[in-house]
Amino acid sequence: MNSIKRSRWLASLCLLPFALFFIIFQIAPLAWVAIHSLQAESGWGLANFSKVVSSKFYRQAIQHSLEISFWSSLFGILIAILGSYSLRKVDSRLRDFVNAFANMTSNFAGVPLAFAFIILLGFNGALTLLLKQAGIIEDFNLYSKSGLIILYTYFQIPLGVLLLYPAFDALREDWRESAELLGANAWQYWLHIGLPVMTPALLGTFVILLANALGAYATVYALTTGNFNVLPIRIAALVAGDISLDPNLASALAMILVGLMTLVTFVHQWLLKRSYHVAR
Amino acid sequence: MSFVSVQNLQKSYGGSPVFNDINCQIQRGEFVTLLGPSGCGKSTLLRCIAGLTAVDSGKILLDGNDLVPLSPQKRGIGMVFQSYALFPNMTVEQNVAFGLRMQKVNADDSRSRVREVLQLVELQDFASRYPHQLSGGQCQRVALARSLVTRPRLLLLDEPLSALDARIRKHLREQIRQIQRELGLTTIFVTHDQEEALTMSDRIFLMNQGRIVQSGDAETLYTAPVDVFAAGFIGNYNLLDADSASRLLQRPVHSRLAIRPEAIALGPGGELDGLVRSHSLLGNVIRYRVEARGVELLVDVLNRSSADLHADGQRVSLTIDPTALCEVA
Amino acid sequence: MSRAETGPSRLYHRLVVYLLFLILLLPLAGTLLYSLATSWSASLLPSGLTFKWYLALWSDPRFLAAFGQSLLVCVGALLLSVLLILPLLFVVHYHFPRLDALMNILILLPFAVPPVVSSVGLLQLYGSGPMAMVGTPWILIGCYFTVALPFMYRAITNNLQAINLRDLMDAAQLLGASTFQAAFLVVLPNLRKGLLVALLLSFSFLFGEFVFANLLVGTRYETLQVYLNNMRNSSGHFNSALVISYFLFVLVLTWAANRLNKDKS
Repeated sequence: MNSIKRSRWLASLCLLPFALFFIIFQIAPLAWVAIHSLQAESGWGLANFSKVVSSKFYRQAIQHSLEISFWSSLFGILIAILGSYSLRKVDSRLRDFVNAFANMTSNFAGVPLAFAFIILLGFNGALTLLLKQAGIIEDFNLYSKSGLIILYTYFQIPLGVLLLYPAFDALREDWRESAELLGANAWQYWLHIGLPVMTPALLGTFVILLANALGAYATVYALTTGNFNVLPIRIAALVAGDISLDPNLASALAMILVGLMTLVTFVHQWLLKRSYHVAR
Repeated sequence: MSFVSVQNLQKSYGGSPVFNDINCQIQRGEFVTLLGPSGCGKSTLLRCIAGLTAVDSGKILLDGNDLVPLSPQKRGIGMVFQSYALFPNMTVEQNVAFGLRMQKVNADDSRSRVREVLQLVELQDFASRYPHQLSGGQCQRVALARSLVTRPRLLLLDEPLSALDARIRKHLREQIRQIQRELGLTTIFVTHDQEEALTMSDRIFLMNQGRIVQSGDAETLYTAPVDVFAAGFIGNYNLLDADSASRLLQRPVHSRLAIRPEAIALGPGGELDGLVRSHSLLGNVIRYRVEARGVELLVDVLNRSSADLHADGQRVSLTIDPTALCEVA
Repeated sequence: MSRAETGPSRLYHRLVVYLLFLILLLPLAGTLLYSLATSWSASLLPSGLTFKWYLALWSDPRFLAAFGQSLLVCVGALLLSVLLILPLLFVVHYHFPRLDALMNILILLPFAVPPVVSSVGLLQLYGSGPMAMVGTPWILIGCYFTVALPFMYRAITNNLQAINLRDLMDAAQLLGASTFQAAFLVVLPNLRKGLLVALLLSFSFLFGEFVFANLLVGTRYETLQVYLNNMRNSSGHFNSALVISYFLFVLVLTWAANRLNKDKS
């Protein structure tokens, strides 16, 4: 019995260094933020949160964040659904190539992506000029909400394709054949069988895309030099910006962001459980 | 005029032929089995009839109409798959009602027809269960009900029992045959299991490498195989080349010979002397390996009493039924 | 056994895939072209092609310093990760399998808590005082460890489950090996490929990290991404060359990871 106990002790010791680093760099900062979100000049309380809620400026930041995240995730997932479904149907050489390419472009986010888009779709960007010449658009402002939605959609696509491609494995070919013999055409198959079976995976992916967009900082910072009003920018400005620093207010905003992300993560975990039930 | 007529069907996958010039006729109400080893083309032929796999050329006539240009939706054929293919997001009742829904049958008629067919497969109490709550055998019965409820002209079954364990397989076998007889439904059954084929079918098409090697009823196929492959596939034939056969029978034999193991009797007063090399107990049959005149033979003896037991190394005498000798190509 | 796609649907699928490829390619292609252009202002195409931007880039000492510093931090973080995560995984899967459920929740934290949020706490806690790390590469290494954690944990967990850790360890111990020996000589070699792939992918991800690098360290230890951002006001061609060079580097890494992954299966 003793040697087993001893080895368990030794094993627990192995966990210590990990726990130490994890606490220092992940748990402690989070705890600090949680605690200080409730601390204002007047002492403990929800003063920071009421400041956030009553300020039009901060409400706009939350609204912008939610809007950009929602729309970019929606467009991203629609493009990803069509893309990954067709990807499964083409020959393996094309499929492997585009798959690998999508994998690699998922790394092309943040600052480099912002620069690439400025080149293409900035005020003097090649694509902007092309579209203007063709008369398709009057003027295009990349540095606006719709510009950001396009930018965010771009980096959502590879992630969406990556997540959805294996999700189609849940659809068995013989369901399709069965449905055909029973008289269903392609639309009816997707409506009654295909989409319902895939719904948990689709929603799960949508939720991950939402989280991805909500927390994104680098891309929007690089594009607008921190001048666009979204939640991550506001938080960073209050701790590292040029003007008034207010770490407690930043903490409150941060907790709101974390709250949104946690909600999103929980929904995703719950959907994951449901998908196993259906896909058997 | 036959009910189903396959004429000059050709199919190849990427250059290599799957089957070449297949022809077969099936009568209305017949239960026909496509039997053969893996890769012989039986499943592909079935899928071509269903319209799930395209054919290169040829005709498939069902009640006089050529099916080849029709999509699977319009062929009026029911099919049961080896993997059941039940829709996981629907209950048993919804699964079975799906075909009726596609035919736009009204809700009341649909409900009563679904109930009727569920009673036929003895699953009326399981209507609101989901597929993942059912056993394999139950799933297969639901699949069967689903394909029957639309009153198809032809029923196809693609190795439906292969994924089930032996006891359920036997029970379902009987149930399928019974339902088929009751409904008078023309049925094509695909299997690699010869016991299934022999017990269930009116007629068997034995296939090998994309050709129909022999067709006939169970008795014919079993007692009169046309070639070496047929003799080797059905039953446990003793296959002797011409020389060994001549040596055994002490008369000239010009082609290969197939002898059924139960056609050789082990008993006193036989014409041949033999030596028991080994034996295996198969339950109600004892299978002996006996050597006679330098030829090794499988002999099956019904396990009726201890008189039928012969120890290894024992000398026995054999009698071969001359009518059971079959010359094969 | 799947049905052959009929003509028009096959065409449709090919078109969709090509379109997808085009959409993903466009920003990259634009940047590549810009990096090779002599000048390209308000016109549809560049006026000429040249390599001079790349030459300028690769001879800029500040760029090389930033590249080197990025490398150092990422490699350091991954080294730390391996040292911390491997024993952790081993102990969890062999001794305390019930901890796996807890671990799966813990590794969700880096996802649910975006780097911006952590930075708020990190700046306050380690900006001054006994544990002052802000502005040094050490805080980056620690933070990058938490970023890499979910990837590495998941990848190696899958690997461990695939090789059936318990059975391997039991077999080795029955043959006389101590726990330590069994872990090093038997389990580790079997994890090699999965570990390598996880490391390569984590590296690519860390190399592109900006938030921690900018907020916690900034110009005091300039990583490549921070350098890229700081150079925003210099020539766009120069920046494009920078972006393409960065991307090529990451491309090589992901390609290597892909090849290794394929080898495995």
